[in-house]
Amino acid sequence: MHISEGVLSGQVLAAGAVITIVGTTIGLKKIDYDQMVHVAILASAFFVASLIHVNIGPVSVHLILNGVVGLLLGMAAFPAILTALLLQSLLFQYGGLTALGVNTVIMALPAVLVHYLFLPLVGKSERLTFIAGFSAGFFSIVFSCLLLGMALWFTDQNFLKTCIAIISAHLPVMVIEGIITGFCVTFLLKVYPEILPNINKVGK
Amino acid sequence: MRKIIPFIALVLMMSSTSALAHKVIVFAWVEQGRIHVEGSFGSDQPAKNCDIKVTGLNKVLVHQGITDAQGRYSFALPKNLDSDLVIEMNAGPGHLGHWTISKDELGAEPTPENIEKKMAEKQSLEKNPSLARIAAGIALIFGLAFSANWIKRRKRKGHNA
Repeated sequence: MHISEGVLSGQVLAAGAVITIVGTTIGLKKIDYDQMVHVAILASAFFVASLIHVNIGPVSVHLILNGVVGLLLGMAAFPAILTALLLQSLLFQYGGLTALGVNTVIMALPAVLVHYLFLPLVGKSERLTFIAGFSAGFFSIVFSCLLLGMALWFTDQNFLKTCIAIISAHLPVMVIEGIITGFCVTFLLKVYPEILPNINKVGK
Repeated sequence: MRKIIPFIALVLMMSSTSALAHKVIVFAWVEQGRIHVEGSFGSDQPAKNCDIKVTGLNKVLVHQGITDAQGRYSFALPKNLDSDLVIEMNAGPGHLGHWTISKDELGAEPTPENIEKKMAEKQSLEKNPSLARIAAGIALIFGLAFSANWIKRRKRKGHNA
């Protein structure tokens, strides 16, 4: 999911940087003192998740976890994902510094979107909480693939063909992230509901 | 749940293309009159069936090919070369890797020591991130979070004073 250096045009890189700056500024303003530890924990999880590769038959996938980060943090996902991507770029040479803005948009914008789409379902019942978590994990990757396709489309690549290639390559990740996010949110709701913003606790 | 698991397995098996990894590593060296190229996404993850483009001076295309199932490709050293060669590997949408072979390297036949050195360089590129780097990254994230928190607290105290 990390776009390499030298792939995108200058305009796309600049647009990505501007959206990232705006998103990060809003995100930083929205973070509460008490939320800062949660942001750090989730940014660390995102930072490490990309290192976990799972081989399923001929497919080798790595986790992204932008769904769970977005569901729990909302706009604060922007600074969390930006920090994690910056450190991945500096310490592991993933992606590249010039593509940092675009890579942040590709992963953080879907994270924010799934927060607003699926958080209202969290806490209604255990089953709905799992469905909301699964959908957040699944669709965050779908939206990320579409944004990646758009970024490449603006740099002279066929949108439909590129999107089909990216989505088919990420199908296993969508399912795995959906399951992980579903279980993660259901578990957190039981043991640490304070991390979930504005929810109705199950059983109340 | 019993019905869901086989469905998930089916979806995963249907997706036969390799999911896009994030670190494209290209490595190339000259040996016995041929240029050998190896592409991977890190250790044990060869970049299979990826397009290889070789360009010379002013980005003129010199050669092109596709990596095999081991992520390897080799071709005869082009004649009359007068510049560095840039080897570009396209490993799927948004994933590009480069390697440059200098003009000097192209002209000289490498010694066994040189090849050994190159292989060591290749292994270090493909090595997974160390635990120390991962720990440093997490420590930096928490450091930044606590610094941001401290700045926010100071600002709020300033407003209240």
